[in-house]
Amino acid sequence: MNRSMPFEIFRYAVILSLVALSLIPTLWMVSMAFKPIAEWSATGADLTWWPNSPTLDNFRFLFGESNSDLIVALDRTAGQPILSSLLSAVFGTLIAMMAGTSAAYGLSRFGSGSNLPLALIQLRIFPPMAVMIPVMIMWAFLGLIDTWYGLALVYGIVTMPFAFWLMKTFFDDMPREIEDAALVEGCSRLRVFWKITLPMMRPALASSALFVFILNWSDYLIALLLTTRDWVTIPVYMASLSSSMTGQLYGAKAALGLIAAIPPVVLGIAIQKHLVRGLTFGALKQ
Amino acid sequence: MTAIHLENLGKTFSSFTALRNMNLEIADGEFVALLGPSGCGKSTTMNMIAGMIDPSEGAIRFGDRDMRGVPMSRRGVGFVFQNYAIFTHMTVYENLAYGLRATGVAKAERDRRVRDMAEFLHLTPLLKKPAAGLSVNILQRLAIGRSAIMEPAIFLLDEPLSNVDAAFRAVMRTELKHLQREFRQTMVYVTHDQLEAMTMADRIAVMDHGKLLQVGTPIDVYNNPSSVFVAGFLGSPGMNLVKGKGVESDGIKRVDLGEAGVSAPLPAHLSDSVPEGASVFYGFRPEHCELTDGEGLRLPVTFVERIGARTIVHMGSDGSAVKCVFDNRVPVRTGEVVSLAIDPSNVRLFNAETGAAIGGAN
Amino acid sequence: MTADILEAKVEPIEHEDTRDSRRLGFSLTLPAQLLVLFIAVFPILMQIYISLTDWSPLDGISWWQAHRLWNGFANYTDLAADDRFWSALWRTVLVMAICVPAEFLLGLGLAILFVDNFPGRRFLYSVLLVPMMVVPAVAGYMFFMLFQSGGPVNDILSFFYGAPVTIAWLSDPDLAFFAVIASDIWQWTPLMFLILLAGMVGVPEDQLRAATLLGASWTTRFRTIVLPRMKTIIIIALAIRVIENFKVFDNFYIMTGGGPGVATETISIYIYKVTQQELIWGYVAAVALVILISLSVVSAFAIKRMSQSREAG
Repeated sequence: MNRSMPFEIFRYAVILSLVALSLIPTLWMVSMAFKPIAEWSATGADLTWWPNSPTLDNFRFLFGESNSDLIVALDRTAGQPILSSLLSAVFGTLIAMMAGTSAAYGLSRFGSGSNLPLALIQLRIFPPMAVMIPVMIMWAFLGLIDTWYGLALVYGIVTMPFAFWLMKTFFDDMPREIEDAALVEGCSRLRVFWKITLPMMRPALASSALFVFILNWSDYLIALLLTTRDWVTIPVYMASLSSSMTGQLYGAKAALGLIAAIPPVVLGIAIQKHLVRGLTFGALKQ
Repeated sequence: MTAIHLENLGKTFSSFTALRNMNLEIADGEFVALLGPSGCGKSTTMNMIAGMIDPSEGAIRFGDRDMRGVPMSRRGVGFVFQNYAIFTHMTVYENLAYGLRATGVAKAERDRRVRDMAEFLHLTPLLKKPAAGLSVNILQRLAIGRSAIMEPAIFLLDEPLSNVDAAFRAVMRTELKHLQREFRQTMVYVTHDQLEAMTMADRIAVMDHGKLLQVGTPIDVYNNPSSVFVAGFLGSPGMNLVKGKGVESDGIKRVDLGEAGVSAPLPAHLSDSVPEGASVFYGFRPEHCELTDGEGLRLPVTFVERIGARTIVHMGSDGSAVKCVFDNRVPVRTGEVVSLAIDPSNVRLFNAETGAAIGGAN
Repeated sequence: MTADILEAKVEPIEHEDTRDSRRLGFSLTLPAQLLVLFIAVFPILMQIYISLTDWSPLDGISWWQAHRLWNGFANYTDLAADDRFWSALWRTVLVMAICVPAEFLLGLGLAILFVDNFPGRRFLYSVLLVPMMVVPAVAGYMFFMLFQSGGPVNDILSFFYGAPVTIAWLSDPDLAFFAVIASDIWQWTPLMFLILLAGMVGVPEDQLRAATLLGASWTTRFRTIVLPRMKTIIIIALAIRVIENFKVFDNFYIMTGGGPGVATETISIYIYKVTQQELIWGYVAAVALVILISLSVVSAFAIKRMSQSREAG
């Protein structure tokens, strides 16, 4: 379509302003993460967009080196929460992918588990808060409270619908001729799945796994309820950071927020081709 | 009034030149086919007439109105796409009424015109039906009706029959031709199928690799092709082209065709234009061959295709490979060497280097 | 004789394959089925039980002994009269009614601008998607920082107003409400944009050209061809956002904790607070069940309607 010059100017003007709006909050946090404590609560004319004297102190503070300006040190470093986020997200992804992929294959090729699509959608519709009390009770009973594996299990269950729907659409798209050829040659169905289908699906598996990982990593509420001290994840830890001596620890929290936010953003951009498919439960492909 | 003038039309996309030096005059009410293989520039030409693409050079005029800068929506052009582009989310009625609604025609008049058009195209019982899922036959009529209802002066059709299976194609060809006579519009028809062009067009414009090679009536282009490409493209099978050399003996010019022997004497208008030793293509149509017992080209039969009413006999090999069409009673067998006679008036000669036809028209 | 032998040979092999396949299919879907059972069936049964009691974890007895504190449907009648619950529910609906249309319209506008190709399209597209990928809790904190009285928002407003602006956004009920909604719109408009653009790009270009040739203007084409053909995608996008927005917790809770007072308390925050602060879990179970059942009914109804219309149309 040939567009006129005034329209092109309009287009760029609108897009660039929206780009600015979408970047400002993030950039503000980035800026805060590198600001020394003196600049944290500047007001009025002192408020600067970029730190006057950028520093890595906030990051150092998070990892245990006490900052001379901050009287209070943390009772623990950010290392543990980062580890917790990582372990729970990774293993949660594993659980979701294993259960979801096998079920997706079962439904796609054999038609088993026809109740799953509806059940899994309903799972996503329920507010987590409405099922958390029984989960908390069960987890307490099983000794899974405040553990990374207890968290991973819930993550796996809660994000399995996405793994399922993503892999199901990928399996549906894959032509059956290749599998059929192997079957004709005498391979068992299981062997075909394991040795032929899955290897062919590596890119799809990777994208789906990354998608699910992003979801698990981004959780807050579930971790808030199921962890108390030792294995809190980054978002929970970040929210709990505060000091009565220095008020809001803006800089430190911003630094932590930055650490938490970078992986999903980077991974998200990497798999952006598949985002539509994952977010619309396979109804749309890009 | 609604004649189309293409003057020196050209189009270049980045590094690729799709069309060059296209000059064509299409008279009011004429049915012209743009014929050529994929990539010859015929669709590009038509898209420029419609206003979908801007020319890189040259001009397009409808009558005496220069169309440069006139947007697609205001050219008054009807267009039938290869896949018909029917609005499948609307009913047949809504499809027909679309243009009228878009240009603000009053409801009562709209209704009247839609019903008249539906009547004319035998679509009346389908008016309330969703356009999705209807047969190709109906979709084609709908596509034409949707454009025709706007009473465009010019109708453009982009290979509308290529998605139709062979059985229907003959039926649809007749229908299209009938419709064109009825509507009396100037029609430009893009196709790669030479049979379609031959049966439907008033004139054919043969194109290849972005250039217009020849324009003329079907018979004209068929009988007097201006180049080896046109000669080979029209007709099924195309014209036979055997490489040879001009020779003279006793003041009579002939063409030496190597293994096949020497041809019959060339007719006057050709012999003047062929110098001794010139490299030429000796051309004759498959249906102009005759088997004789006497003088003629000697060729071994390599393959016989008996396809119902006709028999295609393949003879010779390499440079002198020839196909001849006879009726189904012809008594030839593979391996036999036959003698082929061709009436000199049916012979055409082409320059072996340039491919251009030699000598004037017959 | 020979025919029988042949037949006897063929049949078992065929059955073998189907039985094998079915068994494999069953075992492949088993893990998922078990997990769903685990997370759906047990919790619901448990909640049904607890909701009929006055149990709290503070009572010192295990949950299965909660029957000692049986109080029948008292929790449910309390729920009907619970102002805080109903206002939280209302607030959630209000948030939805503002956020979802705003995100939709902005997303649609962006999609329209991104349909054609233009220099920098791919890069700008990726940049615009970033907000959606930020961890919601972190986004909540970002906006918390932005709306501080000494923060950037006031700073920008001061610039335009000419004089220092020190609005205490998060301490004022209405302004805090606005601020949390702003954070939601910021974060999720890209999602709408992503989905709507994918749908818009799928509209067949030939049909749009045909419409143009028939004389249709851009707005006519948009109204008669683009939007109708995007109907399914629009419904999906809206459904997804409505569902997710209803569940909203992370960024709201981090920004305001549901406050000031209950000004930004959505239903999820309400349930969370009653769970963790008042600890009357019997009551919370009743609330949870009411919500679950209503959502189940509504969603089953909607899905049935959708599959019916899919079959018809």
